[in-house]
Amino acid sequence: MLVFIARRLFVSLWVFLAATAVMFILAANANDPLEEARQLPDNEREAALATITERMNLDKPVLIRYLLWLGSAITGDLGVNRQGQDVNAMLGTAFPATLQLLAAATVLAIVFGIAIGVISALRQYSAFDQSVTFVAFVCFSLPLFWVGTLLKQYIAVDINDWLRDPTLSLVMVVALSLLAGAVCSGVLVVDRRTRWTVFGVTAGAMAVLLLVLSATGWFADPGLGPVVVALTAFAGAVAITTLVSGLDFTSAPMRAALVSAGVGVVCYFAFGPVLNDPNLLTLLLLALLTAAVCAGIGWFFGGELFRRQAIPAAVLTGLFTAAVIFVDRVLQAFAGYAAHSRIRGRVISTIGPSTPNFEGTFWQHSLDSAGHLLLPTLALVLVSLASYTRYTRASMLEVMNQDYVRTARAKGLTERAVITRHALRNGMIPITTLTAYDIGTLIGGAVITERVFGWKAMGTLLQDGIEQGDPMPIMAFFLVAGGAIVIFNMVADIAYAFLDPRIRLS
Amino acid sequence: MTINPPLDTSGTLNTASAARDAVGEAAEEVHTAYSLADAKPPLDEEILKVENLTVEFPTDDGAVQAVRGVSYTLHAREVLGIVGESGSGKSVSSMAVMGLLPKSARIRGSVLYRGEDLLRMRPGQQRALRGEKIAMIFQDPMTSLNPVHTVGDQLAEAVLAHHLVPRREALARAKEMLDLVGIPQPDKRLRAYPHEFSGGMRQRVMIAMAIINNPDVIIADEPTTALDVTVQAQILEKLLEVKDAVNAAILMITHDLGVIAGMAHKTLVMYAGKPVEIGHTDQVFYEPRMPYTAGLLGSIPSLEGDAQGRLRPITGTPPSLISLPSGCPFQPRCPLATDVCRQTEPPLGDIGDGHWAACHHSEKLAEVEDPTAFFHPDAQTAPSEGTGTDSEEGR
Amino acid sequence: MRKKSAQPAGTPPTPGSADDAAQGMNVASRTQFQLVRARFFRHRGALVGMALFGFILTLAATSIGWGPIPGWWDKSPTATGVVLEGGRPTLGVWPTFLGGGGVSWGEHPFGQDDIGRDYFAVVMRGTQVSLTVAFLVGTVATVIGTVIGACAGYFRGWAEAVLMRVTDVMITIPTLVIAAVVAAMAGRQGIVVLGIMLGLVTWTQTARLVRGEVLSLREKEFVEAARSVGTSAKRIIFRHLVPNVVGIIIVSVTLAIAAAVLLETGLSFLGIGVQPPDTSLGRLITDYQTAMMTRAWLFYWPGLFIIGIALSVNFIGDGLRDAFDPRQNRVRD
Repeated sequence: MLVFIARRLFVSLWVFLAATAVMFILAANANDPLEEARQLPDNEREAALATITERMNLDKPVLIRYLLWLGSAITGDLGVNRQGQDVNAMLGTAFPATLQLLAAATVLAIVFGIAIGVISALRQYSAFDQSVTFVAFVCFSLPLFWVGTLLKQYIAVDINDWLRDPTLSLVMVVALSLLAGAVCSGVLVVDRRTRWTVFGVTAGAMAVLLLVLSATGWFADPGLGPVVVALTAFAGAVAITTLVSGLDFTSAPMRAALVSAGVGVVCYFAFGPVLNDPNLLTLLLLALLTAAVCAGIGWFFGGELFRRQAIPAAVLTGLFTAAVIFVDRVLQAFAGYAAHSRIRGRVISTIGPSTPNFEGTFWQHSLDSAGHLLLPTLALVLVSLASYTRYTRASMLEVMNQDYVRTARAKGLTERAVITRHALRNGMIPITTLTAYDIGTLIGGAVITERVFGWKAMGTLLQDGIEQGDPMPIMAFFLVAGGAIVIFNMVADIAYAFLDPRIRLS
Repeated sequence: MTINPPLDTSGTLNTASAARDAVGEAAEEVHTAYSLADAKPPLDEEILKVENLTVEFPTDDGAVQAVRGVSYTLHAREVLGIVGESGSGKSVSSMAVMGLLPKSARIRGSVLYRGEDLLRMRPGQQRALRGEKIAMIFQDPMTSLNPVHTVGDQLAEAVLAHHLVPRREALARAKEMLDLVGIPQPDKRLRAYPHEFSGGMRQRVMIAMAIINNPDVIIADEPTTALDVTVQAQILEKLLEVKDAVNAAILMITHDLGVIAGMAHKTLVMYAGKPVEIGHTDQVFYEPRMPYTAGLLGSIPSLEGDAQGRLRPITGTPPSLISLPSGCPFQPRCPLATDVCRQTEPPLGDIGDGHWAACHHSEKLAEVEDPTAFFHPDAQTAPSEGTGTDSEEGR
Repeated sequence: MRKKSAQPAGTPPTPGSADDAAQGMNVASRTQFQLVRARFFRHRGALVGMALFGFILTLAATSIGWGPIPGWWDKSPTATGVVLEGGRPTLGVWPTFLGGGGVSWGEHPFGQDDIGRDYFAVVMRGTQVSLTVAFLVGTVATVIGTVIGACAGYFRGWAEAVLMRVTDVMITIPTLVIAAVVAAMAGRQGIVVLGIMLGLVTWTQTARLVRGEVLSLREKEFVEAARSVGTSAKRIIFRHLVPNVVGIIIVSVTLAIAAAVLLETGLSFLGIGVQPPDTSLGRLITDYQTAMMTRAWLFYWPGLFIIGIALSVNFIGDGLRDAFDPRQNRVRD
């Protein structure tokens, strides 16, 4: 395995090196860097031309310029752009914003894309499957910036306007309830009669919930409160255990998960003061602690027979409960955030990655990032989600037709075990390759999205570089983007080998 | 996972070790022949009774009638062979018994396991029997094992699906079974992945998986078709051995009459979704009363050499299951076909001694010495009122 | 269940030899092409896609005229004029009996832009350009991808290594990035050069697909057979392998075209690609995105045409994929 990784790393390095050369030569020829200077008045022209030629080494052949760039890039110096600004500094400010956007979009697209794809495959030819297929095709066909502009102009404006007086009209309540009912019944049930029952119950519950929330002014000052947090945590425990080991209230994994949820709710009160204004490190440590404690709970309650199911059930429940508490805290900070003098109720932002000069608690900063990230991420995810959904669906359908799935059924495994233990594991193997391929698409998408939403980030480096015929910022962009692709490809290969013993052991 | 009362492990282990003693020597030497004559005789107890089973698949071109009324009874410790060409419905009928057909299949009739109808059980009950009381071995061992899990995990899983025992014990049981089916170094092989096994070894793993819960019935669907000839015999012998080790009955599905000959107490011949002949294996082999059976027998090459030294294959192809020919489905390929064959489909008629055949002319086959001679290229000389060219129509 | 049983060598020709015949028992009378066609025409999405794409293509080709094709629309995409009624579209789609204003074209069905050009004619011109670029990109990318993929899949040793490394290098550069750089070079030389240049850098996906398919085909018996009688590599690739991957290639062309339409709009948005005075659908959206709140139709019409083209081509591609490779959607039987 180690040899495999080392060999893979070696090959990747050479490929990446070759790619930088290709990129540099193309970038150096994209535009004429001297064009603007040539149009200067006569008295300034010569000096400007000379400065630029000297700064960009335009008197040397492209290959030499590449080698010069490579030499300094290896030492970590990315050079200066046409105007003489330090590219390292530009990259330093651009990178974090783009990373935020890409990370959020990638994670969401993978999680939701795979989940929807799996459900879609398991409910092949159902109404849910058909609608997902259709929506995926529409998403495939959307020009990213067209969607981005639409989101910016309508969703942002509408939500912000609505937040001034956040009550739901009856039409909205009915529409949202019907949608919730349709999604729930489509995902959960196969049998026709129960489907209508589920539809009715979900839609009804949703309607009541929305009406109550709307009437109590919850949307203006949201928050979950201890009761809702507890209920959600326990419901999550039941749902997670059902997925991990089946729905049985007397089983050991279920007991472990419920206890984890209980401990989480107790911590909600116990850790109250710590959570008033924490930093990211505290939260990560708390998450680790949660996982460790829950693993212990699972180990204890699982006993010898059920440890393998109880530990994941307990850990997942613990993390889920922590997430619910996190959401509760963020929501509680909402009223204060919206009233902040720099925000003035315009919660969904359409410009830049964060509000400049914003001061507030950790929770308010989280909200600020969320408000800025929401629409760009949504636009990126919409476009990327579709390929994950389609690919996962196809892969799962293929796997579900395999002989070994039939063998698993013939053993008398429950359908849940057949799917989670045999189909999913195999169905995910080709998806690893897709993630590597998709990251390139996402980076391209990020360039466009950043421009739509006026972010000064990585995309700006690329665009300015191309416009000015200046390879330096382009290469800085490419070092990060190409590096990300190389790393994703490697991780995908390693994940592939990890998931598939035929590769791992050969 | 249904929680059954804990498995009586001591009991299981005893049965298995007793079984191992019974076949002790055989397990040591791979090539010790273990034939049907050595096997424990069948009992009178009816384990599986299939009655008038029909299966249809709706397709764009119309309903495919894959199985059109199959009935048979399997007794404890009995081996029943089901023979037929591809598309004769032999596999589909056994998948119906296992409850493994896709949801789109329309299944009618009944499948009684110890008097209880599997087709009318709730899915949960049916699942509890699957792999526990009725187990199955599939045709292609190369694809029937999950490539990403170890063999030990896949075997243990079969135990854990039905019994509330620690994983450790399930793995111990798995090891025992690998030993029983003749896999060397079972300890080490438990941790190996399927791709590290040869085809024959994988099929042994499949057999181990089938018997791991001491089932009453093992359905073997062409278990040797995908294997080398030399390995085929070993696998068949091993099947007979383990059948006695766990006291199971076997439903042996194959297109290869050679497999059935030394394996099965009774033989059922299927054609176009229906049984056309059923009887003791000797009866079917030596006194076939249905031209199709005779045709199958005629296409087996024999070492002793046939009078003419040539095979006598059946001409033509099996009929489309969407639009069957009128009358007897075999009539377009049958050298004995007459007008009555083209008009009415013959029922399965009792010939005596538990031998049944579905043919209007079964007495004609009884009269001749070598029924396979009808399929001889010079069949015109054989006693037949049908025109020999009928057999060409299937082309 | 009626799976093809692999006959081990040396097995007597028992009734199992009828297996192959049995496989074809319901389809004996149909050729491969007829089967593909039948499956394609059963795919509802593909049919709708075909109809929509045909409609858009016909509209774009005949309305304002395209090369030798005369146009029936009397306005030109370049002629400016007086802006009537704020340039609002006059297209009516609500029939009167539904309380609408009746179905009619009117003077300017898609409205007018700020200098009074007939927006229908402008959008048609944009559609023509976008389609041309997309077809060029799709064709060039597929030809290169197929050749590279087929060679990389067929040859072993250094040829495969070199071709695969070249593909790896190309994959390392995000499509949009390399396309943007190349388009910046080619944009000023017209749409044909632009299309070809973009095709030169977007073939990697096709190459990967074709290589994967050829890799598995290479091990098939008929290739062994051809090789054993001394057939040349060129002949094997183009006579035996390529016809067998033709399904994948056709599917890949359609998907490449759909992707190219979107790529072109993306580049236009970044100000790279098709340059004025010529226009494309992407260019139009970019030009009028600020007009969105005031004259939204200038933003919507080109967007709808892009979605219409991409969606219909994607659906056609999906139909073709199912038709050539029904495995993906088959239920076990």
